[in-house]
Order: sequence, then C-alpha cells, then structure tokens
Amino acid sequence: MSETVTLQIDGQSVTVPKGTNVLEAAKLLGIDISAFCYHPGLPVVAQCRQCLVSVEKNPKLQPSCQQVVGEGMVVRTTDPQSTLARKQQLEFTLVNHPIDCPICDKAGECTLQKLYFEHDNADSRVDTPKVHKDKAVDLGPHIVLDQERCILCSRCIRTCDEVAGQHQLEFAYRGDHEELTTAPGEQLDNPYSLNTVDVCPVGALTSKDFRFTMRAWELDATPSVCNGCATGCNIEIHHKNERAWRLVPRHNPEVNSYWMCDEGRFTYHGLREGRLVGATVDGLPAGWDRAIKAAADQLAVGRSAGQFAVVLSALASNEDNFALASLAKAWGVTHVYVAGKPPVPARADGRLRVADINPNHAGVKAIAEALGLQLKPSFELDPSIRGVLALGDVLPGIEGERLASLAYVALSTHDSAPVKHAKTALPIAAWAECAGTITNNKGRVQRMHAAFPPPGQALPAWEVVVRLAQASGTKLNWTHAREVFKDMCAAVPAWKELTWAREARPLALRFAGSRG
Amino acid sequence: MADAQSLRQLVLGRKDVQDLSDTEQDLPPDLMTVNMGPSHPAMHGTVRIVLTVDGEKVVKSDVQPGYLHRCFEKESEHATYTQIFPYTDRLNYVSPMINNVGWAMVAEKLMSIGKDIPKRAEYIRVIVSEMSRITDHLTCVGASAMELGAFGPFLFFLKCREWLYELLEIVSGARLTHTYVRVGGVSKDLPAGFDERLTHTLDEIEKVMVEVEGLLNNNKIFRDRMAGIGAMTREEAIATGCVGPIARACGVDYDVRKDYPYSIYPEVEFDVPVGTTGDCLDRYLVRLEEMRQSIRILRQCLKQIPDGPVMIDDPRCALPPKVDTYNTIESMIRHFKHIVDGIKVPAGETYAFVEGGNGELGFFVVADGTGRPYKAYCRSPSFVHLSTASQLIHGHLIADIVPIFGMINMIGGECDK
Repeated sequence: MSETVTLQIDGQSVTVPKGTNVLEAAKLLGIDISAFCYHPGLPVVAQCRQCLVSVEKNPKLQPSCQQVVGEGMVVRTTDPQSTLARKQQLEFTLVNHPIDCPICDKAGECTLQKLYFEHDNADSRVDTPKVHKDKAVDLGPHIVLDQERCILCSRCIRTCDEVAGQHQLEFAYRGDHEELTTAPGEQLDNPYSLNTVDVCPVGALTSKDFRFTMRAWELDATPSVCNGCATGCNIEIHHKNERAWRLVPRHNPEVNSYWMCDEGRFTYHGLREGRLVGATVDGLPAGWDRAIKAAADQLAVGRSAGQFAVVLSALASNEDNFALASLAKAWGVTHVYVAGKPPVPARADGRLRVADINPNHAGVKAIAEALGLQLKPSFELDPSIRGVLALGDVLPGIEGERLASLAYVALSTHDSAPVKHAKTALPIAAWAECAGTITNNKGRVQRMHAAFPPPGQALPAWEVVVRLAQASGTKLNWTHAREVFKDMCAAVPAWKELTWAREARPLALRFAGSRG
Repeated sequence: MADAQSLRQLVLGRKDVQDLSDTEQDLPPDLMTVNMGPSHPAMHGTVRIVLTVDGEKVVKSDVQPGYLHRCFEKESEHATYTQIFPYTDRLNYVSPMINNVGWAMVAEKLMSIGKDIPKRAEYIRVIVSEMSRITDHLTCVGASAMELGAFGPFLFFLKCREWLYELLEIVSGARLTHTYVRVGGVSKDLPAGFDERLTHTLDEIEKVMVEVEGLLNNNKIFRDRMAGIGAMTREEAIATGCVGPIARACGVDYDVRKDYPYSIYPEVEFDVPVGTTGDCLDRYLVRLEEMRQSIRILRQCLKQIPDGPVMIDDPRCALPPKVDTYNTIESMIRHFKHIVDGIKVPAGETYAFVEGGNGELGFFVVADGTGRPYKAYCRSPSFVHLSTASQLIHGHLIADIVPIFGMINMIGGECDK
C-alpha cells in the first residue's frame, strides 16, 4: 500500500494515494470540476484554466488538474470566486466558437456543450464578429480539422506525442489567431491518429470515416473487445439500425488504457461486407435442416475412413473453438489444425499493435491442450485427408484446388475465396453479433457482448456445431454460449475461476453525456 | 299448419315465439354472463364489464380496463420532461390543459421554481384549465343525457364545447392535444382579441346551460333514471379514494383548488358545490354548478390578468429566443441541450397535484438529476373512480349501468396509464 493523503473538498473528507491531483480526488466524491485540457491518460498542462478551485491559504485560484493533494488541504469548488472564474473562462472559450451544433459531429457528446450547460448557461454578451478560421483542413488520411471549433486544449498534440510517440501536431500564431496545425513537414498520419478525435472535447477533429454518417446521440453502445489483433483492446461498439457505425476504445488500464489503433477501428466494416447470409449445399442455397444433414453426410465418409480433419480458427471466439474441438474429440480425432492470418511483423511497435493479427491464438492453444488434442498449423494438413470441417474463412496453406477435391464443410462469417469451394457452407455470426469470450496474447480472457443480431440465417458457430453433432448422432447439448463457457472453464485449468458476466444492455449514448 | 310450423322450425333453427307453450316461454332460471364492451356505445374508451345477470338485474360484475395500452408511466422514463407534455395531453383527453399544468407543476416543484412563475403565465394556466374543466363537464353531461335518449342536450353542449375548443385552438394551435404549458410558464401568450371572444363565448354558454337545464332538470325520464341510481355514501367515497365531482356529490367537501391552493386560485372567488345524496342526479347537478363556478373564475381572471412575460427568466428551463439560438453559440448550445438532453431536474422525489376535470390529478416523480424522470407515477382520478363501478352497479338493472357509468365519467386515456 502506497502512502495516502487525506484532504477536504467542499466540506467532505477524502483519502487518496499521495501524488493524486485535486480533480481526480474530487471525482471520487462525485464532484465534477469542469475541465477541457485535462485527460487522465495524458500529461497535465493546466492550460485551459477551466478547473480552477480555491485552495485554503493560497491567495490565487489553483488549477485542480495540476494541484497535487496535500495532507489537510482544504479545497472549495463551489465558492463564489472559483465558480465565477470558471463561468468567465467558459464565456471566453465561447467568444469565437462557431454556431455549428446542428452540423457538428460532436454535438450531443461534446464537452463544451456539457460544461456550458452545467457551469455557465448565461446569455452571450458579445456583439463583435467572431474570428473566422479554416473550416475543413485535411490533416492526414483519416482526419479533418475545423479550426474555428478548436478550443486550443492541446489534448490532440499530447495524444500524438504520448500515444503514438510522434510529434505531428502543433499550435501556430498567438491570441485569437492561434490555431492547431500540423508540425512542419508532417501530416497527422500515425497508427493511433484517431484517438485524437476521441479526446477532442469539441468537434474540431473529426474522423473521415464517421463524419456526417450518424448523429452521436442516436447511437447505442455495447461493450466488446477488438478482434483486430492479439492485444484485445477493450472497445465499445456504437451501433444503430442493426449495424455498427464506429468502434471506440473503452478504458482498461491493464490492456489498452484509453486508446486503440486506427486499424482496429476500421474492423467494423468487415461486419457488413461480403457476408455469408445463407447456408449453401454444392453452391446452391439451402435451409438449415437440409444443409446440416448434407454436412453430416459429407463428413461421415471421411470420418469412417479416419481421413478427416477439424480446423479451429484463431479468429473465432473461445466458445466456438471449444464447441468444435469438443466435437472433434467426440469423433475420435487426435489432432486438430488451427488456421489464422499470417503475422505482420511490421505492425509490432511495442505499444498496442502486435504482429499477430489473430485475436484468439492463445485461446485456441489453451483449449486444444485442455482437451488433449495435438495442435498443428493448417498448412501441415495431411495429404491423406478427404473430409474437412473448418471454422472461419481463412485457411492458409490449403489451396483452392485441394479444397475443391475435399469434402469441405465451412463454418464461415464471410463468403470469401475458400468458402466458394465448400461442399456445404454454413453461415455463422461474427464477433459483434454473439456473446462470447476471446483470449489475448497475455492470456487474458475477455468478454464480448452481442450488439445486434447476425445477418440472414447466420447463427453463432457453437450452435451450428451443436446442430451438426446432433445430426451425426453425437451428444452435445448446449443451448446457450454461457453453458459452453461453463464447460470450457471446467476443462481449462487456468480458467477455472472465471464467471460469465451478465449480458450488457446497450447504453443509449443520449443518456451517457459527453465522451470528450 | 303443422307443416308450416315444422318448416319454420327447420329454417329458423328454433320455434317461433307464438308457437312456444306457456312453460317454454318462462325465462331461464339460471344466471347468465354477458359482456358489455369493450366495443359498446355507452362504454367510454375501451373498458369491458363482464356482467352476471339474473334476468335484468346485475348480481356480479367484473370491470376490466386495460385495453388501451397507453404506457404513460413507462414511456415517461424515456422522454425529457418537455417531451412528456404531449403524453399528458392524452391522459384525460377531454381536459388536456389541466394535465399539462399538473405535469409542469411537478417539474417546477422539483426545481424549486414554483414561486417564480410569472403572474401572467399563472393566470393563463388558470384560464385554460377552467376552460378545460367546462369542456370536460359539458362532454360528461351531454354524453350521459344522450345515452339516456336525450339527444338535444348532447348537441347543445357539444356545440358549446366546440366554441371552447376553437378558443383553445387559437391559444395553443391544436384543438385537442394542446401541449401548451411548459415547465416555467406557457409556450406562448394569449392571442389578440382573446378576452372579447372568451367573454362572448361564456355568455353564450350560460344561455345554452339554461336551455339544457330546462330540458333535463324536471324531465321525468331523466330524473327517474338518475335519481337514486348508483348512490354512494360519504364514507364509501372517502374509503374508496373518490375525488372531484363524484366525492362532492356525496358531501365530501374536497377540492384541491380550495384545500391545497395552487397557482392564482387564492386570488379568485368561487364556491365548491357539494351534494347530499351521492347518486347520479347529484353528480349531474354538481357538474352543472361547477361549470357556473368555472365561468365565474374565468370572468375574474380576465379582469385581473396582468401584463408581463409568460415564461420564467431562468436559463435552466426557458428556451432561448429563436433569434438568439440562430445567432449566438451560447443560446444554440442551450437550445440543443434542452431539446436533446432535456431540462436538468435536480435529483429528488415529489408529488404535485391539481384539481382535474374528474378530481385530484397528481404526478409523483422520482428524478435522478438527468433530463428524464427516473420514475413517473400518475394518480389519475378515473382509475380510482372506475374501481368503484362494480360496487355501484351491483343490484341495479342493466339499463342503469349506462347513467352510472356515464356519471363516473371514466376517461380511458387517464385510466389505462
């Protein structure tokens, strides 16, 4: 236990670790001191002056983000002096702010709107024209800047410096002509650039991918985990009308802090493009019952001859892989194959991005080990194999011609190249569409929640496996991902203590206040 | 003849009445269960009564509301305080203005601004409330008379109601679903020339009331079907929670406007009529007198109403003027926040109530500091009154259900909440 300090804020006593700032200590008491430039994941600069508070025995108001707590300190946040200072600060901030709310992407989740409404709410006293600046400055591949909206908090500059480690943004000029701009010879182009859009307290930085697509307050947020690589950044899926509109990071100090990479943010596009929406048998559409029966019959031939392979997927959830591995074990298979995308060494940067772009390699390994199945990469597929039951649409090392010659049953989210060779293709739900868990490269099992239903006929893969088992006379009786999870945790020693979290109800962002 | 008789039996599936023997003509001795409503001209709104009758006499009844699926209370948890005004319009949809006022009062009480509402806004609220009270009673009395066969009074009263609806329409923009009152005042001032039009209308209504009373008060059919029917004692009325004209007809001298005065009611003079017998006739007479008292209140209000603003000058609940919204960022943000997030009502819980057309209409709200109620409950008089219906019609004839039900004046929108 580190040293603690006890202080008084607005008459209430609070004990916090030494070195905490007053703003964070007040948060513990539920006191919301307004702030723009302060962000818990970034260095403190105390430049917006929006968090001024009175500290006893101190003649001047102190910025609470920079003021470190001291033993016996007496802080007042609601006294006339500091309240007035914060009101006046807001008034100054709004002097040159454009009247953009109706066309601004940040409206509804804007920190400036929130703080003005809660801490000032006074009429305008300005009758001079506003200073005009550039409205749509292209900063780089993903981001557009509106210099008029910018309130010069420098959060984005610090985000580039700290999160990406690249100095790409700067302030230029002075006074009311001061503006945000790219550093000389640079553009805003780094793998973490879109975090600047999240931290922007106003709508100055907007994502080209998201801007003008959906009003923020109309979205629902479902907690999930990014499936873009083995880091497993915690995210929120912001969705509406049964589709995702953007992914944003969710705070987890153990995994990703407040951040995620740009590549991960764009993975939601894959949830809509090229999906397999209905089962097919020999390339023709089929209902579930016929497709399952066809799949069971096609696999029976190879199974009886012992020339049969099950391919797990490092891109699918623990539950899906455990269900399929359990079926393989029940069918007497001694070794299973694992398929996944090849690593991208150039990605590894010692920050969040890693070379392994499969979200669940660790989970597949743990499951195979727990069930006593030997695990081989898919390109080592035995030449004698005649029947393949494969999870996922990524099968490296198995060419199209080879697949076409096999009794190949595909459980796939997408209608991609290998799946076109399948004798039977069964559509399954993607990561955002069903409840499940994945295991990141540190062995952390993380829960994903279903944000919206899968397209067309698609079902969660574990459910398809159960149907296939039943059609083949094998006993698998799970009726919910929770039951698969329970049996899985009983089988994998390291996961013995894990419990299944309650399904998360999507939170409407209009109830969530600002996300600045 | 025998052939003709058997042929008739074959075609009709039963004997003709003149062919029945004396014993066969007796009514069946056992009890019969019949449905009255939910689709029946004398069943207001959508309510069903499952009657067990012994001949014409009701021995048991089961009154079943719930077919309207309003969900007022649940819907309110998802709407901002301002967005709930349209929902309250649809509670007692015959006098929506009073519901508007009640809802505004509960939010104002939570925000502790009840005392700061501009005087003119308070007067306007009372004017539109009393107009609504008259429309409520006109409908109730007119419709009940019609259901007893007197079509004339119904047409006369509905004509009067239309005059008032027209006036409310020029005030609010809508004939029935006004959504006129706001937290902190009313949405707009009274239009020019409103005083004269209302004064003229009140004079005309008084004339029509004299006519209708002439048609009904000493009408033998009307009196026979109203007097002594569906009587309730004072104690029963109190025990069952009856309020408004129904309780006052039983001698309960309770009127929220007098006993828990709100708005500018202390500044006007009016009497609370109280009945003695508690039967349908007294309920009718109490309603008529209440209309006269409302007219009296309205005339005083028109004399006393001051000039001034109709909305409180408090940025927490007043929308900025449109010209500012379009031209300053401060007002733009405030407008946006009011519309999207709603008026921030401090955490707490409270009950505010007004005298509605049917009696005490109250709203209990638990606020959690956001722009939407955490929980909203509506104490609607119709729901309480309907719960006494079964007891009131017990022992009466089926035909008596019509005046009893008419005088309970159950309004579906308020009952199914």
